[in-house]
Amino acid sequence: MLNYWPLIKKLTLREIKARYKQSFLGFFWIILNPFFQMIIMSFVFSKILRFGNFGVPYPLFIYAGLLPWTFMVASLQSSMGVFVSDASLIKKIYFPREVLVIATLLAKTFDFFLASIIFLLLMIFYQVPFTGFMIIFFLIFLIQFIFTYGLSLLLSALNLFYRDIQYLVNLIITLWFYLTPVVYAVEFFPARYRIIFQLNPMSVLINAYRQVLLGGNWPNWQSLAIAALVSILIFIFCHRIFKKLERLFADIV
Amino acid sequence: MEEDWAISFNHVYKNYPLFHQKTLKEFFQALFTRKKTIERIDALKDINLKIKKGETVGVIGKNGAGKSTLLKLIAQVSSPTAGKVRVKGRISPLIELGAGFHPELSGKENIFLNGVILGMKEKYLVEKFSEIVAFSEIPMDFIYTPVKYYSSGMFMRLAFSVAIFSRPEILLVDEILAVGDIGFQKKCLAKMEEFKKKKVTIIFVSHSLELVKKFCQRVIYLQGGRVEYDGKAEEAIGRYLQNLRITLS
Repeated sequence: MLNYWPLIKKLTLREIKARYKQSFLGFFWIILNPFFQMIIMSFVFSKILRFGNFGVPYPLFIYAGLLPWTFMVASLQSSMGVFVSDASLIKKIYFPREVLVIATLLAKTFDFFLASIIFLLLMIFYQVPFTGFMIIFFLIFLIQFIFTYGLSLLLSALNLFYRDIQYLVNLIITLWFYLTPVVYAVEFFPARYRIIFQLNPMSVLINAYRQVLLGGNWPNWQSLAIAALVSILIFIFCHRIFKKLERLFADIV
Repeated sequence: MEEDWAISFNHVYKNYPLFHQKTLKEFFQALFTRKKTIERIDALKDINLKIKKGETVGVIGKNGAGKSTLLKLIAQVSSPTAGKVRVKGRISPLIELGAGFHPELSGKENIFLNGVILGMKEKYLVEKFSEIVAFSEIPMDFIYTPVKYYSSGMFMRLAFSVAIFSRPEILLVDEILAVGDIGFQKKCLAKMEEFKKKKVTIIFVSHSLELVKKFCQRVIYLQGGRVEYDGKAEEAIGRYLQNLRITLS
């Protein structure tokens, strides 16, 4: 894979550059999009529905969930289209096909960190103390990356065979959003229902982000370890299927 | 000499699954009418080939004879259903030029992107950049505009120029010399002659029998997925033309 690093780099840059060349506001869209979502959600959930106490200002709370969530959704959705839109490449030139998926995820990683600038500004604005626990953020993101990459591999390959996959996935994502504590906190639920969140890696990861960034505390190591294990297993499983299907890409695309 | 070949096909078969019913609705309709749902289409049947290093081989045949499938197998993007395809050397495909070009990116950005896709090093591309642009005959001030504003001729010339500089060991050429004006075509042919001298293996697929005759000593004539004739150019072209006449009359 290292041999293909220059190619990955170029394809990532192509993703990043091309997407915003045509738009006037360019990179600001990456920042503005989650920002306005946050404002709308803050208004709905803290002013209208009057959700209870989060321990931190609600805009920050939501942002810490919304950014990782957006990263995952955007990655899955873009990877599903990547082989379809690069069909001409796939039919002509050999390279490991996961290169295209990696490039997509790296472009989304760039977006993720760019959008995080607002989060940092909000932290300063609300005077949330910066602590050493924040270093763990990078570990959590690594786990999320592996998890998202595994799913992206599987879905991008399946979607080439049946375009139904993308519609199905969009439906699942909508349901998944409600089962993930993005706009609410796990503590809102009675203890006996919280098992749902333990089984959902996104939920564990978002909780961990909040712990280390806003809570000034260690994450729940046990949950995080399980999430890491699950992510690695998903990655291994999906990678295997991907490699099996990869040989057929040029024939069916 | 065992070492001499660049491409070897050993009893190669390739078939594609053809789904007659792509959607659920069609599938259920087929259940009631008992139509076939999957059929396998033979694109290549029992192909045996040895192409030597430095050889220039033309491939001719009607549409659907299996020419593109043959190239796909050589380029290793597709794998055979049965048999073995072996290829030695760096492959540069000149098929459907501009694969990987992005319309929103500038000519310069696309040169680097496409160059890396074709396996060139970034440093080498920086070195060769002005040569590539010069060969493409695209004015320097156009190099910084997005390629979507290029004329189709300019686009193809740029794509061809990048591929030319990829120092291939095996060059796959699929019907691309129909591109550009006569002047540029001549230039490309001269470049290909240069490759021939450098012992680059060239697989040349074309409907232009004139070009094939001029360019290749050996020609493979494909008919319905089989090798109908493999040998001298005149003989291959003669048989192909004769076969065309029979089908026409």
